[in-house]
Amino acid sequence: MGEYVLEVRNLEKYYGQNKVLDKVSLSVRKGEICGLIGANGSGKSTLMNILFGNSIIAGTGGYSGDVVFEGEKVQISTTTEAIGRGIGMIYQEFMLIPEMTVAENIKLTRENTKRIFGRALGSELSYVDWKKDSEDAAAVLEQLGFQIDNSYLVKNISVNAKQFVEIAREVNKQDLKLLLLDEPTAVLNDEDAGKLMKVLKELAKKGTSIIFCSHRLHEICEVCDHVTVLRDGKAVSDYGREELDMRALARDMIGYDVTAVKKERRNQEKKAVLSFRDFSVYMPGEFLDRLNLEVYEGEILGLTSLSGHGKLAAGYGVMGQFPVMGEFLYGGASMDVKNVRKTIEHGIFLLPDDRKNMGLLLEHSVRDNIVFSGFYGRNLFQKKAGYIFSVKDKKEIERYVKEQIEKLDIKCGSPDQKVKELSGGNQQKVCIARAVLVAPKVLFVMEPTRGVDIGAKEKILDMLVQINREQGTTIVVASSELEELKRISDRIAVFCEGRLSQILPPDASDEEFAFAFTGEEGEDGQ
Amino acid sequence: MDSKIKLPQIIITAFMAGLFVLAALLGMDIPELISGSFTKFVMNGVLVLAMIPMINAGVGMNFGLPVGIVAGLLGMCMAIQLRMTGIAGFLGAVALSVVPAVILGLIYAKILNMVKGKEDIAAIFIGYSFIPIMNFVWTVAPFTNREMLYPVGAEGLRPKISLENYFGSVLNELFVLKLGKISVPLGLLLAYAAVCLLVYGFFKTKSGSVMLAVGENEKFCQLSGIRIDRVRTTAIVLSTVIGAAGICVYAQTYGFVELYNAPLSHSFPAVSAILIGGCIGRQAKISHAVLGTYLYQTIYLLSAPIANAILIPQMSEIVRMIITNGIILYAFLKQERRRRQ
Amino acid sequence: MMKKVRKDELIVPVTFIVFSILCFFLSGISFMFLAEQVALRFIRNIILVLALIFPIMAGMGLNFAVVIGTMITQASFIIVLNFNLTGGRGAALVLAVSLVAAAGVGCVIGRLLNKVRGREMVTSIVVGFLANYIYQLIFVAGFGTVIHVFNKKLVLSTGIGVKNMVDLKTFKEVFDNLGVFRIGEAKISMLLLAMIIVCGFFVFYLMRTPLGQKIRAVGMSEGKSANIGIDTDRIRVIVIVLSTVLAALGQFVYLQNIGSLNVYTEHLDTEKFACAALLAGGASIRKAGVKNAFIGVVLLHTLFVLSPLAGRNAFANASLGEYFRSFVAYGIIAFALVVNLRLERKGE
Repeated sequence: MGEYVLEVRNLEKYYGQNKVLDKVSLSVRKGEICGLIGANGSGKSTLMNILFGNSIIAGTGGYSGDVVFEGEKVQISTTTEAIGRGIGMIYQEFMLIPEMTVAENIKLTRENTKRIFGRALGSELSYVDWKKDSEDAAAVLEQLGFQIDNSYLVKNISVNAKQFVEIAREVNKQDLKLLLLDEPTAVLNDEDAGKLMKVLKELAKKGTSIIFCSHRLHEICEVCDHVTVLRDGKAVSDYGREELDMRALARDMIGYDVTAVKKERRNQEKKAVLSFRDFSVYMPGEFLDRLNLEVYEGEILGLTSLSGHGKLAAGYGVMGQFPVMGEFLYGGASMDVKNVRKTIEHGIFLLPDDRKNMGLLLEHSVRDNIVFSGFYGRNLFQKKAGYIFSVKDKKEIERYVKEQIEKLDIKCGSPDQKVKELSGGNQQKVCIARAVLVAPKVLFVMEPTRGVDIGAKEKILDMLVQINREQGTTIVVASSELEELKRISDRIAVFCEGRLSQILPPDASDEEFAFAFTGEEGEDGQ
Repeated sequence: MDSKIKLPQIIITAFMAGLFVLAALLGMDIPELISGSFTKFVMNGVLVLAMIPMINAGVGMNFGLPVGIVAGLLGMCMAIQLRMTGIAGFLGAVALSVVPAVILGLIYAKILNMVKGKEDIAAIFIGYSFIPIMNFVWTVAPFTNREMLYPVGAEGLRPKISLENYFGSVLNELFVLKLGKISVPLGLLLAYAAVCLLVYGFFKTKSGSVMLAVGENEKFCQLSGIRIDRVRTTAIVLSTVIGAAGICVYAQTYGFVELYNAPLSHSFPAVSAILIGGCIGRQAKISHAVLGTYLYQTIYLLSAPIANAILIPQMSEIVRMIITNGIILYAFLKQERRRRQ
Repeated sequence: MMKKVRKDELIVPVTFIVFSILCFFLSGISFMFLAEQVALRFIRNIILVLALIFPIMAGMGLNFAVVIGTMITQASFIIVLNFNLTGGRGAALVLAVSLVAAAGVGCVIGRLLNKVRGREMVTSIVVGFLANYIYQLIFVAGFGTVIHVFNKKLVLSTGIGVKNMVDLKTFKEVFDNLGVFRIGEAKISMLLLAMIIVCGFFVFYLMRTPLGQKIRAVGMSEGKSANIGIDTDRIRVIVIVLSTVLAALGQFVYLQNIGSLNVYTEHLDTEKFACAALLAGGASIRKAGVKNAFIGVVLLHTLFVLSPLAGRNAFANASLGEYFRSFVAYGIIAFALVVNLRLERKGE
């Protein structure tokens, strides 16, 4: 098989305090296809970004450890440099210019030029040879076995086709030594995915090394020469071609540690409070595709998926944050998601995952944050002070805020402290206190425990259960932490590639979940 | 709390102090300059306050200040037409300008809400294109008071209408306090303080604090059920109304109502003044406006006689405009750096 | 989708044509006179309008800082005259100095605009204003104090500050002697005409080279372009350099044709009128071509020539026509901004 093209040794990377890569080592030989799998947050993308010189790496303090490319220790700091060294990358979200044609996209930065003005002007300033570009593009597309008129604008072609154009662009590079693929088959149907697999194998035969990230385990098993599994920033296992086993991979990816399901199962009346009918949400990076789902009154419903597969989109769609299609019913009546105020007045509320940018007023005090939605959105704590202006009922606010701080154990100096000075966990508790005040009938909570320390995590989960039991609030929790969902949810809906893959009871086995996550079983049914 | 005085303010203050020293060395009448600085300060102060609601609601700098100014001019023209005089005349003019200010403000808000994120550039051109429309109006409006019209020949209102017989200097001459050689126009300062207090009070009310919250985090407010566009509209209308009142104060001190292209010249200085006061574009406090206006206007006031003394009279205007635009550019760069962090 | 864009592109030019026809009949002037006036203004303004195309294609919007290019040319004229250099040598020197200086300054502006991504337009306006006052400072106060005066004819009687009006006949003659092209009364130097054609071709050509492809890619999606290995910062600086250099060249042609220079006012508002012209030709703040520039300059200036005359004829008041004219110029920019930004937001 020949020498190593790429060797990665003890790679470490921090985003702020967060360690996202922990002593990862990986090596790829010439002409080898290396599989890379891992759940969200496992460090896959970060690893790719380091290899491809994405500016986000340098912008967040660089990395430590060695990257050895073709026997030479390198520190790739720009994508231009990576491309210059013969590294190509295919992104999950396409890096295609929508207003340009297929041919232009394939040849962008590597155009053929006519030499009417001789070499004096340099190739940058020579006239583009459109015909030759078009021929080149057609040739490479044919090599991929994909038929498309390459004069179409990319914005007008199907998602499938876009994926092939993107691949064609990389394959067309003359001296491609290493190709990185980030979930390239996520949008392809089985037939096209099969074609792609064939192309990758041929490419590898010609000597290009490939790193292939995918969550479709059967594809990984089909094409990869060896597979590395990442979990929580660590390379947890590495399998050779012969040892590959889908079950083992799935387990390594999700992790073993299972805690017993604490919660007793409840027998509930199945009365739908929310219904989604072919509900699609065009949320960038979290597309939700025609969801049909009933949320029952009084339940805690967990939504989960790998990142980017749609667990967050339903909630944000309901709150009118992104364009939607299809219908959303509340208590049997169709709702206009655009009118957020009305939605909230009807008793639907959402706590966002991005606390800093959407969930908190960082410059305001703890008190202001807790009462904000209730006071301004639902007109609580108002009293008429004899004249026409309604004023804040300061005493009542004070009492409520004190009570919540105690109840939720929010660690802050005083209610006047600015929220930005609190820790992540305490910030999240402030958010929950805010939601409690609004007393919604249905509460969407996005990633409630992200960036939260363990102690606070317990409190937050308890609180959610308590709200559910005591106030009868229906809660929809979207989270990537499956263990937590298992502990609090009555049902767990698993999404894959933007579609609802399975609805599982919390005591379903890890394997069932693993397959639901990767959509492996869902595919048989399609 | 980041209301600390920062480097730019220190530089500007030092520059002002330096000008005072220079003026003294050139043998100028310092008490008179100080007295003048008070009048200049209030004269422009209210216009600068017109920045605050829009900045605080996250709409950005009110580069469309001419819209508010035009409303004020309409109010004053009506007051002159009705021959209102004295303090009552002044208050009448302000009152009469509220209605056009609200109407124009609503239209202005409607447009700005369409261009979220790029309000400043849109506002600049809304101002620019609104002026010729108003020039048309000034030319054909059916005003009949002879003192407002072109003396002979041309049609329409004259570019500079004297307020001498109406309400010119009514605030300036109200309760003037003599402190040695320095005269302090108490009435004027009190009027300004009253407006500041009103704006301050507004931000303590419910709709005022919602406005601050929208400026800080629009998404958060939306998820709390607040109608963002409505809050922004309120802020823009408020800014327009304050702008209208601002030009009335300006005109009564100046002694003339300036029509036609004159409103355009106020927006950049006003933006710059509040930036000099320490606002960097996300939250504006009354203190920013007050400090900024005083520093900005006093520098301008001092630089004029100094420039005359060194025989290049245009210098003071040029230097003022370099400071104005330089500060705005500095603020843009600084905001960008903040956003990246 | 395609059809809708086409309609958007047509609506502005068609409105201009309708108003122009209306004004033409109201003004009661001869077609020849109109053609002559418009041709002259076309020659004087077209290159400045062309200078706006690159920044638009690179996604930076209307580059109001082109006004700095025009100021650089004016400054070069004054400086060269100050050294008493006249005639062909002087003209060549002016051209060389202004182009080199414009490239240097363009580089600085480009870097500055890279620091304020997303607000390039408003920043370019402020930078333009700032440069204007620095320019004034140099020629009002700098000349005769810091800068030594070699040519006494340039400065005011006090010895400080350049006069309002500077005569450029000495340069104009050089060009006129190389052959002129007549439109009615007006004379246009063949050489200048050639320069315009070359500029038009240059912009058209450049957008069809690999560099042009990169500019378009950056304009359509900066993030994606960066990820496929385009150095977006560099492209954006190149674009502003080209824009500033073209603007300087444009002002050179303009001043050559006029033969005199209003030192403090000649450049004022030129950038806004240039933007208005480009938009009148059916460009948007995201997309513009040579075609838009050529059509737009003709349309805008036709209306500019006609509207005061129409105002005088129809309402016995020329200033009404002038108000209409400024309204059109500024209004079209405001309109384009609102329409484009709204479409963008809807598209998201």
